Amino acid sequence: MHEILATASGALGYVFPNDLHVHWSLMIVLYPYITGIVAGAFIVSSLYHVFHIKALKPLAKFSLLFAFAFLACATLPLMMHLGQPGRAMSMFLTPNPSSAMAGFGYIYTAYAFVLALEIFFIYRVHLVKRRQETTGWQHAMYTVFSMASDNLSERSLKLDRKIISFLAAIGIPMACVLHGYVGFIFGGVKANPLWATPLMPVIFLLSACVSGIAGIIVAYFLLRKIAGKSIDMDCVRTSIKFLWGFFIVDFTFEMLEIFSHGYMATAHWHTLHELLWGPLFNSYWVWQVMILSVIPFLLLGYVSIRKVSDSLLRIIAPVASVMILLQVLLMRWNVVIGGQLMSKSQRGSVDFQPHWFEKEGIFLSMVIMVLPIIILYVMGKVFPFWHDDNQSEV
Amino acid sequence: MQQNFKSSYNVHVVRILLTFVGMIIVGSLLRSLLLPSEFGDYGHYRPGAVTEEANREMRNKTNDSCLDCHYFVKKIHLKGVHEVVSCEVCHGAYSDHVKDGKVIGEMPVYRGEEIKSLCLRCHNKIIRARPPESIKMIAMPEHLEEKNVRTDHVCNQCHHVHAPYKWIKEAREMMGLPEKWEGGSSWKK
Ligand code: HEC
Ligand code: HEC
Ligand code: HEC
Ligand code: HEC
Repeated sequence: MHEILATASGALGYVFPNDLHVHWSLMIVLYPYITGIVAGAFIVSSLYHVFHIKALKPLAKFSLLFAFAFLACATLPLMMHLGQPGRAMSMFLTPNPSSAMAGFGYIYTAYAFVLALEIFFIYRVHLVKRRQETTGWQHAMYTVFSMASDNLSERSLKLDRKIISFLAAIGIPMACVLHGYVGFIFGGVKANPLWATPLMPVIFLLSACVSGIAGIIVAYFLLRKIAGKSIDMDCVRTSIKFLWGFFIVDFTFEMLEIFSHGYMATAHWHTLHELLWGPLFNSYWVWQVMILSVIPFLLLGYVSIRKVSDSLLRIIAPVASVMILLQVLLMRWNVVIGGQLMSKSQRGSVDFQPHWFEKEGIFLSMVIMVLPIIILYVMGKVFPFWHDDNQSEV
Repeated sequence: MQQNFKSSYNVHVVRILLTFVGMIIVGSLLRSLLLPSEFGDYGHYRPGAVTEEANREMRNKTNDSCLDCHYFVKKIHLKGVHEVVSCEVCHGAYSDHVKDGKVIGEMPVYRGEEIKSLCLRCHNKIIRARPPESIKMIAMPEHLEEKNVRTDHVCNQCHHVHAPYKWIKEAREMMGLPEKWEGGSSWKK
């Protein structure tokens, strides 16, 4: 009782006692962020494998590994958020088709299989060769990875290629469902006027593509720089164009959503208005929209339309990509946290201040965001990122 | 260059498919081992869970259960308008206070300024938390200005917390003010 009164001091207007606490906090901000990066990174690899955008070849393999590393951590925030993480397994033990929340478990698992298989087939030649070169535990590991097959005949590789295009093709709708689902789970909360819109899955999906492509570009620049390798500017130019394209649609939809809310001015508009121009003003309008959308939008447009020099692109591409990564993170924050700041009383709002060392605090969030990078590093030891890493091609 | 390979050209695909089949078999085995036998008898749940939940120790009880021991409060509370209000809303859960008929913990009691925010949780006109027909609401500090008193008065200086009109009614009788109350010997309106 005393605690409630104490927290209520951080509230504005009248807030129901059960609205005082923001239950879905940082972990639930990270969850759509990480899943989004997965879906987006997969799109990059599909652009090469399915749509045959040749310029993206240098990124085709890396983006799959990148997607996988983040996928491996996508459920972590959810587990950290749950009071009883062990019970998550119940959705496989006693599957309930009408549970919207459990849906993620099934989609995620199916997608993880497709992604793992695609990586396995794409790297098969490499794995088989490594198996022959290595001894001891490494040999055992490569034996498992190559399914103890040594067949690299033309016929076998042809079969592989067929399977790869099939996996990549079904992977696209699955990646879309994976992240569209995350938008759906928010869009389906009809009690929350900020979330409850059928546009939610679309916006989530588009921002996912955007964050995935931006993430790949940033990682590409970083890793190549660290390894002292050259950067394929043609590839960067193409990915920047795609980034811009997706971002145009993404940003337009984000704005259209707000404008249609405002134009329709339904019963909930005044609450939304108070939220967006109140506690969310800085994080939404100033940061997400003005600084982190408009500036990268112009930058990307400029480098996509005008013929800029490589040295300028070398600066603009990573800068704009980092800004877009932050934009998407803020978008998740504004949606997830923002939606919970308004009270169901429609007469008040609370504020939310994450702490460093709490169960779902900032420190843990940072650990979870660093983890995929460590996984990626370890994976890089077995599956080389770049096609110029001296190995044969599929 | 024609090479001779030990394995056939599609053996890895076959092995992957077999792995999947194996996973499905192991999965179903695990499921049959882990799934409680009576699961699904009546629906998508384990019937035993219902009894388990029902047998959980209750945290909250009725006002009567408090009044068994608090005879003094009983004499006042039941005669006042707050008769309908739960003790535990203002104090705390029974199970934190009493177990097996013995007192095991202290109940929190609001004092001074805290009482003001406690009362205003239900009686605040500004936030209009509830329809006025069910609970009368007042605005602060108007309520005290009307009474011509200093605005730093706390509610329980005039209202008995357990029977809000007790003292007010007694004071009116003492002063010979017109009888505005109908409740007879009770301190209700
Ligand atoms: C088994 C008898 C018993 C029951 C039932 C019981 N109480 Fe008590 N209560 C006591 C006793 C004895 C004390 C005094 C203990 C002390 O002062 O430490 C007490 C103390 C209190 C106090 C604190 C008084 C003070 O001056 O600090 C409050 C408030 C209180 N009870 C409220 C309740 C409420 C509300 C309930 C019902 C949910 C309840 N009690 C049920 C026996 C009981
Ligand atoms: C409207 C809120 C409210 C309700 C309902 C309520 N109490 Fe209280 N109670 C208080 C407050 C406030 C005090 C402290 C009074 C004071 O300091 O003047 C108090 C004091 C007490 C005390 C200690 C007396 C003292 O002054 O130390 C006991 C015992 C108690 N309540 C029991 C009960 C029981 C039993 C019930 C239910 C029948 C109940 N209360 C219902 C608000 C409430
Ligand atoms: C849990 C909500 C709640 C709290 C807290 C509460 N009350 Fe009440 N109060 C009620 C309800 C409900 C009624 C109306 C009972 C009825 O009409 O039968 C009421 C009635 C009253 C009335 C009579 C109003 C009328 O109908 O004429 C007064 C005076 C009052 N309360 C004062 C207080 C004071 C003083 C406090 C703080 C010690 C307080 N209340 C705390 C719920 C609450
Ligand atoms: C100076 C004494 C005094 C104080 C302090 C006081 N009241 Fe009252 N209150 C009264 C009187 C007298 C009445 C009787 C009805 C009237 O004349 O308005 C009353 C009536 C009420 C009513 C019923 C209003 C109605 O419309 O019938 C409520 C509710 C109430 N008080 C709540 C509170 C709360 C809550 C506090 C503390 C924030 C408080 N009072 C503080 C003297 C006081």
